[in-house]
Amino acid sequence: MAEAAYTVASDSETSREEKSSCTFPETTIGIDIGTSQCRVAIWNGSQVEILKNSRNQKMMSSYVTFKDGTPSGELSNQLSADHDMLSGAAIFNMKRLIGRVDTDPVVHSSKSLPFLVQTLDIGVRPFIAALVGNFWRSTTPEEVLAIFLVELREMAEIQLKRPIKNVVLTLPVSFSRFQLTRIERACAMAGLHILKLMPEPTAVALLYTLYAKQSGFQSTDRNVLIFNMGAGYCDVAVSVTAEEAPRGISEIIALTGSAIGGEDLLQNMMRHLLPNAENLLTSHGVDEIKSKGLLRVATQNAIHSLSSQNSVQIDVDLGNGMKICKVVDREEFEEVNRAVFDECASLIIQCLHDAKVKPEDLNDVVLVGGCSYIPKIKNLVMNVCKKEELYEGMNPLEAAVSGAALQGYVASGVHDPFESVDVLSIQVTPLSVGIRADGNNFVPIIPRNTTIPAQREMLFTTSHDNQAEALVIVYEGDGEKLEENHLLGYFKIEGLPPAPKGVPQVRVMMDIDASNVLRVLAAVLMPGSHVPINPVLDVRMPTVDDGHGWCAEALHRAYGATQDLVSVKRI
Amino acid sequence: MPSYGLTIPGADSRLYVTTISTARPAPDPKPSSLPVFSSRATRFGSIKAKAATVNDAAAAEEERKELSFYELLGIPESGSITEIKQAYKQLARKYHPDVSPPGRVEEYTEKFIRVQEAYETLSDSRRRAMYDQDMARGLHLAFSARRYQYDEGMEGKGDWKNRWQSQLSELKRRSSYKDDRQNMSWGARMRRQREGLSDEV
Repeated sequence: MAEAAYTVASDSETSREEKSSCTFPETTIGIDIGTSQCRVAIWNGSQVEILKNSRNQKMMSSYVTFKDGTPSGELSNQLSADHDMLSGAAIFNMKRLIGRVDTDPVVHSSKSLPFLVQTLDIGVRPFIAALVGNFWRSTTPEEVLAIFLVELREMAEIQLKRPIKNVVLTLPVSFSRFQLTRIERACAMAGLHILKLMPEPTAVALLYTLYAKQSGFQSTDRNVLIFNMGAGYCDVAVSVTAEEAPRGISEIIALTGSAIGGEDLLQNMMRHLLPNAENLLTSHGVDEIKSKGLLRVATQNAIHSLSSQNSVQIDVDLGNGMKICKVVDREEFEEVNRAVFDECASLIIQCLHDAKVKPEDLNDVVLVGGCSYIPKIKNLVMNVCKKEELYEGMNPLEAAVSGAALQGYVASGVHDPFESVDVLSIQVTPLSVGIRADGNNFVPIIPRNTTIPAQREMLFTTSHDNQAEALVIVYEGDGEKLEENHLLGYFKIEGLPPAPKGVPQVRVMMDIDASNVLRVLAAVLMPGSHVPINPVLDVRMPTVDDGHGWCAEALHRAYGATQDLVSVKRI
Repeated sequence: MPSYGLTIPGADSRLYVTTISTARPAPDPKPSSLPVFSSRATRFGSIKAKAATVNDAAAAEEERKELSFYELLGIPESGSITEIKQAYKQLARKYHPDVSPPGRVEEYTEKFIRVQEAYETLSDSRRRAMYDQDMARGLHLAFSARRYQYDEGMEGKGDWKNRWQSQLSELKRRSSYKDDRQNMSWGARMRRQREGLSDEV
């Protein structure tokens, strides 16, 4: 039996297949790791319970302070977060940095943070460090996140009085599969076991479905748009909520997302308040760190104030003779951030378009996330969706974590005798996956917004006569250009028999299973044969590691176009 | 650019090949379009069984067991788009792996994907028309279901689709007078499938 498929395993620590094959009747917590704030919740059988830290707070700042070489996550209040931020010892915004290489614009915009983010712009992981005493102590977003998750786990264990292992995490729509592996790694480091990773707005959609079910479905299908904007990311989902008695269904139709959020509003505003801020923002002397920490806190407070009042007085001494004394009104804030707001609107338009749903067909519009309090955001969501009012039934800051807790309860297989929470979330792929072909182009094989599990196959052929090898380079994303997409991995098909170009059939199949694991299979057939010439390659993606940014370039330098593939139907 | 291997299925059940171009050698007319990956079964190595099936009768038997998209969704061929949608929704919810009984995730996943294919084909009027045409000639089983997904994500990317479609209908026109029998042989169907592939090359 020569045709046995072989598997090239990726470097992910834990096999999600193993995870899904066994059921855990244990408690599963939901975690919403926000860019700036974080929440943990469980479903207690009848409702969501948001867990509190030792200071009786439901909302924890997502940051870790490094002291004397021993980092500790601080599930603390905003005041001490502000203080640690001024010293350069605290690392935060992990969610913006995780799984990104140093050519990524999001990493570049993080250089103005009080801790150190250095880039070499060659496609490796950025250098990130916290100031401890007089030393820059290097770390990674995974490490910081793991430390933070350990704190969260301990907090949950103390409160629930039992060991906690299983989690459902909510994540941004725009996260690549490579970024998901970094999240998995952080969870593994923290001793947590991921039952499911959910795009944030889909967790909100699931919660909406439960509420609709509990209040009795008014119509068979309800179209609902979820807009979720936090400090780091903005996500949109269109979901159809329906009842298939006794089960409530949330069927995701379309997802869009982008790495824009409150952090961008904050940075734009800081630059606006201090026109020559660039020097200050990019230097990391002790005084500069303090100055920009002060600027950051003052700006953040001003933005918060502008959500409830029309203008705000900013009065802050940044030291070194720099003072800001200025009145800022809402209009000014909106003008400074026009590009961000425009992008928010275009994400909604895109999502409605992808879902083939007109604004008039929307039954409800749900606005959640930290930025949902900003009047401009509220207005633009209502405008684009042509709604006079928004759905009022949920807490904007707790919706995502509640959905995660609910999914955790459902996924952990706890038997629910009354079927009160019998809900199902049908998910789609947030990004297209495909390969490089037809020259330097991205050819999607599973397009975005395909319902998962999914399986698609496409036919390719060689680009040169007597081509003996072909490179299958797998990308994820929706960028027009190949470079705009995320490289997930690559492998080579060897031993192509001599033949004119265009003759060998290279079949590439992509498979996303119930646990969202992506596998890429490649087989070569010569015309007239139905037996692949070599064993079929079966590769679990992603296979790349942290240095992957330069892989694509290095591959190109080494091989040029000699091992290219051409998609068959496009010619 | 169709440059080789366009095969015209004949009434004869033995293999009959026409190449419309002599630029390339005529391919070996043996069928090459058996599902290489044979759905999710790959994981369990049953690709071996399928790929190695050289026994025409056995393969044909296997093909016949496959339900048409209409049968799969449990609706009549005259079913309206509303019925298709309704049926799909019910089945997708029934076979979603998240609600599968313990130990049957694989089976449910496979069913879910099949239902998805059926829905995506039948809910798109253009693709449904193509599928109906093929079904009328008994070709729908020979064509891999994925055949109808090839345009996915390609909308607005040039007119290849129109060209491809007109090529296809031309081929069908040319072949229809020969294969208007309801039950084509497996060999003929395989050639028909090959034709589908080669006209894309």
